Amino acid sequence: MTKKKLVIALAGNANVGKSVIFNHLTGLHQHIGNWPGKTVERAEGTLHFEGHTVDIVDLPGIYSLSTYSLEELISRKYIAVERPDMVINVVDASVLERNLFFTLQLMELETPMIIALNQMDIARKKGIEIDTERLEELLGIPVIPTVAIKGIGIFQLLEKAIEIIEKGNKAKPIEVKYGKEVEEKIAKLTEMVEKIQFWYPPRYVAIKLLEGDEEILKEVQRIEPQIISTAEKLANEVEKFHGHSCSTVVTSEQYETAGCIAREAQKLVPPIKPPMEEKLHNLTTHKILGYPIMAFSLLLVFYFIFSFGGYTSELLSNFFYGWEPLFASVFGTEIIGKLVWGGIIEGIIAGVTIALPYIAPFYLILYFLEDSGYLSRIAFLMDNAMHKIGLHGKAFIPMMLGYGCNVPACLGCRIMETERERLLAAFVTTLVPCAARTVIILGLVGQFIGIQWALTLYIVDLLIIFFLGRLAFKTLPGEPTALIMEMHDYRVPHLKTVLKQTWFRLAEFIKIAFPLIIVGSLAIKLAEVLGLLEPIATLLSSVTVMWLGLPAITGITLIFGVLRKELTLIMLATLLGTTNFAHVLTPVQMIVFTLVAMFYIPCIATIAALVREFGWKKALFITVFEIVFAIVLGGVVLRLLALIT
Amino acid sequence: MEKQSPKKLEVPLTALKGGETAILTSIKAGHGRGQGRGWGFEKRLMDMGLTPGTKVTVVKSAPFHGPLEVLVRGSRLALGRGMAERIFVEREKE
Repeated sequence: MTKKKLVIALAGNANVGKSVIFNHLTGLHQHIGNWPGKTVERAEGTLHFEGHTVDIVDLPGIYSLSTYSLEELISRKYIAVERPDMVINVVDASVLERNLFFTLQLMELETPMIIALNQMDIARKKGIEIDTERLEELLGIPVIPTVAIKGIGIFQLLEKAIEIIEKGNKAKPIEVKYGKEVEEKIAKLTEMVEKIQFWYPPRYVAIKLLEGDEEILKEVQRIEPQIISTAEKLANEVEKFHGHSCSTVVTSEQYETAGCIAREAQKLVPPIKPPMEEKLHNLTTHKILGYPIMAFSLLLVFYFIFSFGGYTSELLSNFFYGWEPLFASVFGTEIIGKLVWGGIIEGIIAGVTIALPYIAPFYLILYFLEDSGYLSRIAFLMDNAMHKIGLHGKAFIPMMLGYGCNVPACLGCRIMETERERLLAAFVTTLVPCAARTVIILGLVGQFIGIQWALTLYIVDLLIIFFLGRLAFKTLPGEPTALIMEMHDYRVPHLKTVLKQTWFRLAEFIKIAFPLIIVGSLAIKLAEVLGLLEPIATLLSSVTVMWLGLPAITGITLIFGVLRKELTLIMLATLLGTTNFAHVLTPVQMIVFTLVAMFYIPCIATIAALVREFGWKKALFITVFEIVFAIVLGGVVLRLLALIT
Repeated sequence: MEKQSPKKLEVPLTALKGGETAILTSIKAGHGRGQGRGWGFEKRLMDMGLTPGTKVTVVKSAPFHGPLEVLVRGSRLALGRGMAERIFVEREKE
């Protein structure tokens, strides 16, 4: 007996344990990509269950099915157009009312669905007891209690989903009823919508038309403009009647229903034990203590990553370079040998010695902090500071990431809500001195001039971020958005989910960065082999020597630095034949060189990340801008320092 | 088109002290003053549970005019101050 492939989608609010359930269901058989043509992530996996092959699609975590964000639009269209066989709505039992608001919207899409009532343990801890049978009755939808983090209820959930796909739902899902005056209008519009072909259910379209939903207005306008004018008229009537916008009325009534159901199904009892989570929350968001705690945690994270990264990175590169003689004996030391080793292999080594020692632990810790809930507290504390450059608190997270590596930082800007903020945040993060730039700052300025000068450079960097961020914020068209963010209760992260997220991010980094790093190093090696570097350095000397006051040789090192910023320093040592830079550079030259190296261009992997997220044009613009900016800055600083000394 | 009902004491959410609870009356986002944060944000706030008639508790605000921490419908939200200034509430009678 062959059975057709089933598709089950997971939908629900953010932070309800959806991805944990997804991981339990699909194990290692998963694939993370993007929705076609969008920067929204699409996670998919396959499982086999009682002879069925089931595709699981993990929809983005959202709070509503309106058009506030791309995620919401994609989810709603997916459910309505692709029609999965079943939607599993993952509901956080500890915040039942708000989660049910989303459930009701899913129900309005008239999709077959069941509820995974997750985080039952957290709810119980908070003193919330839920009568699942009563909830089932009230909604007319099967409800399976789960504690995903412990794997409880997952099997039953899947079993129920398959059972309903095969036999159908005995109970009939309830229909959200609005006030009489609203229902009349919905009925009128539904009748009109029924006559046209549309992928959403007619009643849903009618409600959304009254609410003034952008996407649906646009689509219906195209098909039958008559409906729009009627909808507008009816919406105005509702508005007059209630004194609130129609969208307010509809949303309020949905919440009213969700609230009624939640109150009937849940019983509040005193919490079992004094919640530690609450104390931790108060401490980490405390108006005074919150900041030192944050600073300490972050310093600890960076200290750990840099010491771990430095150590492993050296181990790895020693290991790889151990193969060099063998390579030379196979490919020779002529042009081919040089190209293969210096171009391709060194490119790979460069990638590996960044990715494994630095990026992997970075992501691991980041996801740990995110899952636990601490990142949202940091965003809360930093919101005000980020507003100075027109961003809100969440943007602090990619910025912080940038101190490790700019590539994940640029990709991390996806947490921002609008395209404009993503771009703004990404621009700012490319100015953050990453680990590689830290090597230059500490290795050159810190070591040969003094640590206070290195710190000064960090402060200058912050000032420049502030100044350029503000400039970009003022010039980019569009409106700033405010912080609206949930701070879910602290919880212990699910290790497997965190590991998996880390792995996928790492794979993404490798996919984006490696090809360009390899091609880049091959190109530079080729230039070197062909003897083009000297002429290029001479060509650049009008800038490097005349304007920046640096030795001509730095032109070459700056070219190498595009691959990896720390190469500017390593190449400088190689080309000058000494690591004692004090012999070959004056302190002023060191500062100018370091400043230029910090800002002159995002490294090639970062450029790749920018291209991927924002397209060629914007990536090119940022790159060119930073080249010009660094050159101007370097020259000005040189002249200023000349005045002082 | 903004309506102010003078008979009730409507204050912005930011006027509440830490620990104070009030009933949400309206969100005045998007209109006027050239700010135009738009319909999207009003809807977003409502989607998160901030609909008229709801009880909102301000827990605290981050220092230096930072965002507000509020409790609404059993969930804990952080709201940027600019946004919170546009959310109007009516204090519950003592």
